[in-house]
Amino acid sequence: MNTSIPSSSWMKGAALSVALTLWLAGCSAGKEATKENKASSSSSPSVVENVAAAKTVQGGELTYALASSPDTLDPVASGYAVSHRVLRTIFDSLVFQQEDGSYGPWLATEWTVSDNGQSYTFKLRQDVTFHDGAPFDAEAVKANFDHLSETFGLGQARPLLGPFESAEVVGKYTIKVNLSRKFEPFLSGLSSAFLGISSPKALQEHGDQYGKHPVGTGPFKFVKWTENSEITLERYPEYNSAPPAAENKGASHLDKLTFKIVPEEATRIGSVQSGQILAAETIPPQNIAAFKSDSKFKVDQALTNGTPFSLYLNTHNEPWNDVKARQAIQLAIDPEVIVSTLYLGTYSRAWAALTPGILGYNETLENKIKPDLSRAGELLDELGWKKGTDGIRVKDGQKLTLNYLEASPNREKRKDIAVIVQQQLKELGVEVELNLTTDASELLKQRSFDIAGISQVKADPDILTNLFRSDRLHAQGGNNYSGLNDPEIDKLLDEGAIESDPERRKIIYRQIQQVLSDNAIVIPIYVFPYTVAQSSKVQGLKFDLLGYPLFYDVSVGQ
Amino acid sequence: MLVVIGSSVLVFVIMYVMPGDPVLQMLSGNSTTPEAIAGLRRELGLDKPFYHQFLDYFYQLLQGNFGQSRVNKDLVLPKILEHVPATLMLTLVSALFSIVIGIVLGVLSAIHRNGIIDYAARFIGLFGISMPAFWTGILLLLVFSIQLGWFPTMGSEGWTTLVLPGLALGLVGAGFIVRLVRNTMLEVLGEPFILTLRAKGLSERSVMYGHALRNSLIPALTMAGVMVGELLSGTVVIETVFARQGIGRILADAIMAKDMPVVQGVVFFTAMIYVGVNLLVDVSYTFVDPRIRRLQ
Repeated sequence: MNTSIPSSSWMKGAALSVALTLWLAGCSAGKEATKENKASSSSSPSVVENVAAAKTVQGGELTYALASSPDTLDPVASGYAVSHRVLRTIFDSLVFQQEDGSYGPWLATEWTVSDNGQSYTFKLRQDVTFHDGAPFDAEAVKANFDHLSETFGLGQARPLLGPFESAEVVGKYTIKVNLSRKFEPFLSGLSSAFLGISSPKALQEHGDQYGKHPVGTGPFKFVKWTENSEITLERYPEYNSAPPAAENKGASHLDKLTFKIVPEEATRIGSVQSGQILAAETIPPQNIAAFKSDSKFKVDQALTNGTPFSLYLNTHNEPWNDVKARQAIQLAIDPEVIVSTLYLGTYSRAWAALTPGILGYNETLENKIKPDLSRAGELLDELGWKKGTDGIRVKDGQKLTLNYLEASPNREKRKDIAVIVQQQLKELGVEVELNLTTDASELLKQRSFDIAGISQVKADPDILTNLFRSDRLHAQGGNNYSGLNDPEIDKLLDEGAIESDPERRKIIYRQIQQVLSDNAIVIPIYVFPYTVAQSSKVQGLKFDLLGYPLFYDVSVGQ
Repeated sequence: MLVVIGSSVLVFVIMYVMPGDPVLQMLSGNSTTPEAIAGLRRELGLDKPFYHQFLDYFYQLLQGNFGQSRVNKDLVLPKILEHVPATLMLTLVSALFSIVIGIVLGVLSAIHRNGIIDYAARFIGLFGISMPAFWTGILLLLVFSIQLGWFPTMGSEGWTTLVLPGLALGLVGAGFIVRLVRNTMLEVLGEPFILTLRAKGLSERSVMYGHALRNSLIPALTMAGVMVGELLSGTVVIETVFARQGIGRILADAIMAKDMPVVQGVVFFTAMIYVGVNLLVDVSYTFVDPRIRRLQ
């Protein structure tokens, strides 16, 4: 066989041109860097700021792997948490909920609430433009509310607005929103990316295809969505409406932001490890330790506030309608063991009906109830449940059984939690029947279970209403798994929903959590952290109260 | 045709009787009122009796209307057509891997019968058939992509993204072929005409590859038709593992979301592809087997 060897002169020429190209590329990159430094040093006099500005690298692309695909990029039509991660980068909201629960100005500069709490008047920013050039004003906001009323309620947006009635344009940059009754979580809802403000021009232009052509005022402009593959965004250079929590008040440091959709865990994690992707979400506990111990990577964990994953005893069933029986269960389950066994120390143990980062969290409940198997046994003995020969308690010929329903068994090792609880309760003499199924809607509606678990994500303590108000059974659209019907609690929940003084609200919700704990209605297990494994080149990733990532300050180093 | 219609009917029935209410699933997570649930049900036509939904669906199908996705109202047919090329590429590459690996190992097996190479080759074949494709896929991913960095972990662009997924599926198909080629070769090698060829003075190589192998290919061709079915079904999992685009991925997502129109559309399409491939195989016999040609 004859193979022609490239002549040495050809090779020399090729090598030379490659070298030349590389040299030129390096040169221009260097020039840009010095230009950036010069610009920042001329505008900020302090030396410390100069150094900080010089350190933040401009440009580059962040690739971020999501575990599933967003359903749509029309904020008010979207129902998936994963969509929020993308929506937040394209859309700004009217107000911003800070870490301490209070609200800061965003697209709305200030607002007043009517005395009866049913009308909010917002003054809007006058210097903001949508990505497509349309001006941001009261008419634009009104168009968004109209669009919300038209889309069928599959999205998370509508429930966030609560008793929303109407929106009126009062001035060019003033809009009034009317509710049918007082609703304290209203501002919290408005701060969500699901109520991000879309360009009325784009809403008009794309009609029901708008979900594939989102246009907002956020730091990133939508470029392309390749289904099941990736969503590409690019920097919006005229961005000037950053929320209070962002240090970078202008356009993003990144040129490009690409969300890749990688459902398989091994692939997602492997892509970060091999450097093919710079960040990936939802890392299982066993991999978190590996990433943390490697200096090339880091792992951020953010609390997803709302209610922790907890078990709720069905108070409609015998013998769980008796508080002593419930307390026995409460004392026999050891969530510490569960959390340390399954999550290797990466998830935190939960103690109360609310998560630690939310307004009104009752921290006095921490470490208060310790597992006490003998006391639990005593309580059951008092009720007449005595241990039989096989170790299971019996009363009047009936065995003490507990039907445990887990509706999301594949999530966060919840089916393993069920198994551990089963073992722990066996010690107590309770026979646990496990029912692990993803198709639990009928069972929940019929309340065919003795104990079931759920977690909820919300930045406002009013989430407890959905879980404990007497009229929020599953069949009625709520999540009152315990079937609690306590007029005292109902009253407190209603008060909390309309109380405008945050200090008084805290007292109300702390009391609710105390009562729930004393009566063993809720058995909190773990708080779920949203985890993001990143290359250490990535800087500046932050998170909001709900654990959603914020990209305002992100930059990618070399 | 019967296959296509039959599979569509079967899928329709299965999706209908499957536990789980798609409407409740779509609205889950939000406060749902009985009115909202009833409204969505009406809008999707799910409140009509079974036979009514059934006839509606097939009537539309005949008109070329595959319906809309329940998740995001995309039209099903254009969505499938858009993603079919990626799956076909993967299936083609996998088939290629299967055939090449299968034949090479099969021939080696036959030639070195009962030797170490024979056992090794047969083991690889067994491995391919027994191990689930997604497991093999993840294994390949861990070794060749993450550890060695030779191939990308995900994506659908460029030939490099086809190697690992193609190999994962290819090993499955190769499993089928190795055994077949080996057995057929051994059979053919025992035939009297082989003795004649050797007596004529033909080189061993010529006997093996020129004559024995050629004759073993016919059953392998039939196997290829069946194998395509296996490969197509394997794409459902492999496309998810390697984050590739394709109808397998769409099917996996649609099943999770109980998006009936999409599931039915993909199954219908896949059935058509399968039938089409087998038809091609039947036709190709006339070219490969001179005896059939003579009969015609």
